[in-house]
Amino acid sequence: MKIDMSVDLGKFKLKNPVMTASGTFGYGYEYNQLYDISRLGAVVVKGIAPFVSNGNPTPRVAETASGMLNAIGLQGPGVDKFLHGDHYMPFLRTTGATVIVNIWGKSIADYCEVARRMDEEPEGITALEVNISCPNVKAGGVAFGTDTKLLNEVISAVRKSTTLPLIVKLSPNVTKIGDFAKAAEDAGADAVYLINTLTGMAINAETRKPKIANLTGGLSGPAVKPVALRMVYEASKAVTIPVIGMGGICNGIDAVEFMLAGAKAVAVGTATFADPYAPLKVIDGIEDYLKRHNFKSVSEIVGALEI
Amino acid sequence: MYKIGEIVSNRCLKGDYFQAVFYHPEIAVKAIAGQFVHVQITQMSANILRRPFSINNTDPEAGTVQITYKVVGSGTEVLSKLAPGAVCDLLGPLGNGYKMPADDEIPVMIAGGYGTAAMFMISKLAKNKGMLLVGARGDADLILLEDYQAQGTEVKVATNDGSVGTQGFVTVLLEDLLKNPEPGKKYRFYACGPTPMLMAAGKMLCAAGRADGELSLDHVMCCGVGACFACVVKVKDGDTFRYARSCSEGPVFTAGEVYYEN
Ligand SMILES: Cc1cc2nc3c(=O)[nH]c(=O)nc-3n(C[C@H](O)[C@H](O)[C@H](O)COP(=O)(O)OP(=O)(O)OC[C@H]3O[C@@H](n4cnc5c(N)ncnc54)[C@H](O)[C@@H]3O)c2cc1C
Ligand SMILES: Cc1cc2nc3c(=O)[nH]c(=O)nc-3n(C[C@H](O)[C@H](O)[C@H](O)COP(=O)(O)O)c2cc1C
Ligand code: FES
Repeated sequence: MKIDMSVDLGKFKLKNPVMTASGTFGYGYEYNQLYDISRLGAVVVKGIAPFVSNGNPTPRVAETASGMLNAIGLQGPGVDKFLHGDHYMPFLRTTGATVIVNIWGKSIADYCEVARRMDEEPEGITALEVNISCPNVKAGGVAFGTDTKLLNEVISAVRKSTTLPLIVKLSPNVTKIGDFAKAAEDAGADAVYLINTLTGMAINAETRKPKIANLTGGLSGPAVKPVALRMVYEASKAVTIPVIGMGGICNGIDAVEFMLAGAKAVAVGTATFADPYAPLKVIDGIEDYLKRHNFKSVSEIVGALEI
Repeated sequence: MYKIGEIVSNRCLKGDYFQAVFYHPEIAVKAIAGQFVHVQITQMSANILRRPFSINNTDPEAGTVQITYKVVGSGTEVLSKLAPGAVCDLLGPLGNGYKMPADDEIPVMIAGGYGTAAMFMISKLAKNKGMLLVGARGDADLILLEDYQAQGTEVKVATNDGSVGTQGFVTVLLEDLLKNPEPGKKYRFYACGPTPMLMAAGKMLCAAGRADGELSLDHVMCCGVGACFACVVKVKDGDTFRYARSCSEGPVFTAGEVYYEN
């Protein structure tokens, strides 16, 4: 019997629950050289701002135990090039992939500007993911994600700038994640997405220098999974809108754990660096689990944690 | 029959330098000079990132790919201990690679560190076997010179301690060639090595009107395919610079494209 892998996220549906994590999958173009990216639940592209952004000095990444730190600093082509440049949106439209555009800015006006531009040319865009949680850009970014009042202001303003579904990407660098999920819901978000990376540091003792030029970076990969699971669980208790879970997912069972904790969909990030095919293997792994446990549809396991 | 990614041989060349041969027919057939493979050393469970290595040589008929590497940390340490039969996951060939010289051009390869490994395929595939200018701290870091000599490449060495060849940096050899070229000869320049060496060689080439010289710039990598922007290097953009991905837009850039700090 065929298992129903589709998921309903309220304002939009996905063919399966597995998305790519923003910043780990480029603009889809890169991995489409290896496989058909339309097989994924959704492709979430790297952050787009109204302006061209150079990003941080190098080194930008350091490997850590079962994880990595990054401080890429949201290097990006800006909205004009993204909407019209060869390897960006025009290319994505030809693939038939479900595309979610991650957006960011340094001010509320910036966020609204990108949202409005996507709203003007929405062909091929399924939803916007508002990144208010990048730990690696000094202005804006994380400030919006660690203060519920600012979060409400920016999301309410973006809500007025577009009719596209809005996913808010939450920062894990807060004490009570449920409050932030609720603030996003109250401001008009259609879904919340977590976790972004956890702020961390890595030091080279021999040279007495930080391993990444930005000094601090965001931790991701298997090392963060237990923290991410707990946060997804708490967020899903705090809101009625869909929760999308991520943080260290490497295989189908990891993804199932997030769904049991309350996530309606999941995303694969760092694992793609180790294995470019990881997102596809996660889809197969979930399906395999569902078969083994005689579920007919993937939505049956959402929040099915037995306590 | 070997498995894809299986180690066919893995041996110590000298000191910290090792050479591994993998079975991977697809990469062996496709690879051009200057490209790299991104190796997941599956035997390391807590390390999630792949390790990039230049393709030192290929044997398309046997379906094998050779890398030459120095043990510098945990990944290369584990790799150096793997016996034939172990299987790694290879992604590649990645990167743009060098443009081959024309038949009437003489390739001049300027190398430091693992640069001799990265440029070997240029002289192997070129009509003229050319010239290798190689710089090293001392004899311990001079590798693969016999491979070049065996196919007819002229090898000139500079060492910091003067123990082998000319005393000084490899740029001394380059400067000499740029000032005293053999009349009537057409040269094409290539370089791969530590960043300070590449910057010095790049500036020298530009000053000599050879901004078309090709430098392989690389940086710590993550995805290896252009998706994460970890591996960026500075290239000119008007009066300022932009960060280009060394894995997908490079690792080879012309001396004229590279942005020099001062
Ligand atoms: C395109 C490319 C081609 C390369 N080709 C070769 C080659 O042919 N032979 C060879 O010996 N090495 C090559 N390197 C460097 C090689 O990738 C690193 O030495 C290796 O990843 C170190 O892994 P490790 O786990 O042993 O060291 P780690 O424990 O990760 O690090 C140990 C040290 O190595 C440095 N290092 C880590 N990654 C890199 C990197 N990507 N580039 C430079 N230094 C690094 C770290 O800064 C640190 O000082 C290449 C690198 C690139 C980007
Ligand atoms: C190299 C790298 C770059 C990232 N860039 C972005 C980004 O541009 N925007 C964003 O919202 N999140 C970014 N992230 C965070 C990921 O989308 C994701 O939230 C995080 O890595 C946790 O998932 P993982 O453990 O599966 O990687 C980045 C993560 C990494 C490792
Ligand atoms: S290593 Fe990811 S863009 Fe180059």
